[in-house]
Amino acid sequence: MAREIGPVWVFVEQCGGNVLPVSYELVGKGRELADELGTSLEAVLLGDSVTGLAGELFRGGVDRLYVGDDVLLKYYQPEMYVPMIVDLARERKPEIFLVGSTACGKELAPLVAARLKTGISAHCIDLALDGNRLLEQIIPAYGGLISIVCPEMRPQMATIAKGVFALPGPAGRHGTGELVELAVPQAEPMKTELLEVVYEEAAGLTLDSAATIVAGGAGAKDAAGWRMVEVLADELGAALGATRPPVDEGWIELDRMIGQSGKMVTPDFYIGVGLSGELQHMVGIVGAKLMVAINNDPKAPVFDQVDYGLVDDCQEFLPVLIAKIRQFKQGKTAA
Amino acid sequence: MIDFTFTEEQDLFRKAAREFAETMVAPRIQEMEESGEVSLDVVKALGEAEMMAITIPEEFGGLGLGYTARLIALEEVGRVSCAVAMMLQVFALGIEPIVKFGNNEQKKKYLPGLATGERLATVGVTEPTGGSDPTGGRTVYKKDGDDYIINGRKCFITNSHIADTITVLAKDDEDPKAFSTFIVEKGMAGFKPAHEEHKVGMKGCNTGWLIFEDCRVPKDNLLGVEGKGLRVAMSAIGDVGRGGMVGCSLGVLTACLEEALKFANERVLYGKPIIKLPAIQDKIAMMKLDLEAGRLLGYRASALQDQGARCDTEFAMAKYYTAEAAQRAAKMAADIHGGYGCMNEYAITRYLRDSFVLGPSAGTSDVMKVIIARSAM
Amino acid sequence: MNVRKIVVCVKAVPDPKRASEIRIDPRTKTLTRADVPLVINQLDRHAMEAALKLAGEVGAEVTAISMGPPPAAAVLKECLAMGAGRAVLLSDRSFAGADAYATAYTLAKGIEVDGMPDLVVCGMSSSDGSTEWVAPELSVFLDCPVVTGVIGLEATGNAGLKVSARLDNGYRVVKVNGGPVVLAVTRELNTPRNISFSGIIKARKKEVAIWNLERLGIAAAAVGQDGSPTIISGMRVAESTRKVQMIEGTREAKAEELVRLLAAAGVL
Repeated sequence: MAREIGPVWVFVEQCGGNVLPVSYELVGKGRELADELGTSLEAVLLGDSVTGLAGELFRGGVDRLYVGDDVLLKYYQPEMYVPMIVDLARERKPEIFLVGSTACGKELAPLVAARLKTGISAHCIDLALDGNRLLEQIIPAYGGLISIVCPEMRPQMATIAKGVFALPGPAGRHGTGELVELAVPQAEPMKTELLEVVYEEAAGLTLDSAATIVAGGAGAKDAAGWRMVEVLADELGAALGATRPPVDEGWIELDRMIGQSGKMVTPDFYIGVGLSGELQHMVGIVGAKLMVAINNDPKAPVFDQVDYGLVDDCQEFLPVLIAKIRQFKQGKTAA
Repeated sequence: MIDFTFTEEQDLFRKAAREFAETMVAPRIQEMEESGEVSLDVVKALGEAEMMAITIPEEFGGLGLGYTARLIALEEVGRVSCAVAMMLQVFALGIEPIVKFGNNEQKKKYLPGLATGERLATVGVTEPTGGSDPTGGRTVYKKDGDDYIINGRKCFITNSHIADTITVLAKDDEDPKAFSTFIVEKGMAGFKPAHEEHKVGMKGCNTGWLIFEDCRVPKDNLLGVEGKGLRVAMSAIGDVGRGGMVGCSLGVLTACLEEALKFANERVLYGKPIIKLPAIQDKIAMMKLDLEAGRLLGYRASALQDQGARCDTEFAMAKYYTAEAAQRAAKMAADIHGGYGCMNEYAITRYLRDSFVLGPSAGTSDVMKVIIARSAM
Repeated sequence: MNVRKIVVCVKAVPDPKRASEIRIDPRTKTLTRADVPLVINQLDRHAMEAALKLAGEVGAEVTAISMGPPPAAAVLKECLAMGAGRAVLLSDRSFAGADAYATAYTLAKGIEVDGMPDLVVCGMSSSDGSTEWVAPELSVFLDCPVVTGVIGLEATGNAGLKVSARLDNGYRVVKVNGGPVVLAVTRELNTPRNISFSGIIKARKKEVAIWNLERLGIAAAAVGQDGSPTIISGMRVAESTRKVQMIEGTREAKAEELVRLLAAAGVL
């Protein structure tokens, strides 16, 4: 007997009254999944003075939008947000629930999942429906890809980073939708109290919008080698990124990590220096237009995943490359 | 029953020592190599990590862990920096005579500070006439009322300029067969360190001369029985000193093997990493073999030492074998590096220079053979 | 809020330096067996440090708890050497194959059996799983609040704990008014202490308690693979759509060719 399929859900995260790009991307993917399942796409938006964002979300494909609009919901606070979402999910019984892999999403999603006694996968790099119409959640691991499914419990939950899915195209058949206002619970004394939220400017060129990215890996060997990777990025006017080891070594901040548990980026030109090409990193950069890798091991998996490969030791090669770049730039200035 | 495994606790000691060496010593190596000076940060860190307390009894503020734990610690520190391991090994060398021969007052006075690293130790035995046969020494003492007056000079003394507590061997100026050992403290009138040496390796470990010019030492600082000082020097210092060199040598040996493996895996020749070449594998096999053999010799000796059994021949064999093996390994690892093995940027050149200093320290290989042969004759 | 009892959740993970030895076999689509030693998950050392530092300030007791196979006891022994007063290993064949949900549930039951603490500290994620779910899910099972992404922690006496936590573009400051609370910490929070020799000696007197399913008094169906809502349904080797062209020649020639590429793409 066919079970009735609940709606596909997307959590819409906002910051300062703007919908985060990752949430739009998930609306786009959610629309696809809903169509494939023959169900509706619903979204949940919590914030202060955010009802006006509804139009955009409807145009992106949302059939029904639940809005909690209250000054108490201005910032993410788990003790406010989670019960509202859990209560609504118990009522609506969504089939699938997608959440952005943001700091807030990564805390909120497992809180909701555990309360609903359901499973959740982390930082998926793709989603699809399998032969049993189960949500196949794909993550890189052990040098390959593994698929995770949640056969019994609902919703099937997953977090996805910005950049994995494209923004939704121009409005299709779902031009308008239904807006449902959520009752906001009375403010009760909470066990945790949000004292302040501080926004910081990121130092250096941001990875998100960079046209050129230089990413370094363990092949930099030491702090001095890493310095050369930094100089290369400087010379090219590129944003600097990294795989996991340089972050663990403390050569670079965590927010510069590219990949599954870091950032997903789509530059025009990417140079990977001294990195082996572990999938956890490469999934973050697959969208790049042109990719070059420099590594001393000709058998490194990275050479199967880029457009141009160059075999050399990065500590020895980079000084030569940097000199050639400077020479080229001088020639250009002179001419 | 012979059990060749380390205990779970010994594995943890190794882990702790390795972590210490990698986090607190490794970042200072470049600075030590460039300046050739002792890193006071490293000395402070050694104290904080209780590295000087290992062989000091618990009742005097130490850890009472014994000689196998000490060898583990030295091996791990030596793997990262032979210079620091050498400095550390000689701290224990200066401490040991006080532990073994000091009276209760002397122990109470010196050991707690030596355990924390507040006081640093060394030992003054070697003279220009030699160290392995100290009877040839010319440093003399004479009694003057309640004090002793020491005159002479000691050379090639590790930690000469940083030590606060120095165990000094001198002979009776009226009886060339009678030796006594004294605890000399930094700042005592008539004592000064002089002439810092510039060694080819172990940069960051200080070596120099000690000068005694009518240095007045109170009788409370006589270590053990007057006239029986040679025993103090030979029994306490011999085993601990050679045991310490085993630790330094095993450290260098391990570092050479690791560095050679890393390079051979990365370096590509004829389209594949050179580790695939039989000639390279031969060298790797020899290094691995030497490391295992050296460790078996060294830890057997330290196990005997922990039991309080005689172990002088065992340490002589271990010292001979590991120092020679470290020198062989450094040469082989440098050869594997090809031209890079001549460049200062590569750690292997440091190991090569350090391995050179392992040879004569605490007795040359030839002296070790004399000791080994004597036990066999 | 008086912090008297702190629990730190730790995980024994395959040594990250050698974790790449565990791979998907392209032929059998299963994981290759590799004899990779277990070590303490690096972020859990930051959790231990946070707990020990706070415990030192407020005079609390620290208990380390882990779920894992018997060899994971060595990792707990390390926690005892770092300064934990007690250690508990939750180990039972039925715990195998647990996803984050079943892991969090099992840990929560272990913590409950041990007696509710005022504070639970976890590393933000583990190097072998990296879901970041265990701490929040644990808070649900313990019915208490959670703060993830912790970069600052300050005990403010009776007023509670002041916690700073990473956001994508800054940070938030949260006051915890009463325990228990679960904190998931990042490496930004502190520098973990090294294990000390005297810590190892002190740990001689401490045992790692090993608790099985029966000791926790829970059903086998709620733990391990049976208690996990998610399953791995497939494994495959990734294929790239790019076809690589190698830049060859002398070092100089390779650098020149790369400069030419950069110029052609408009980067230079």
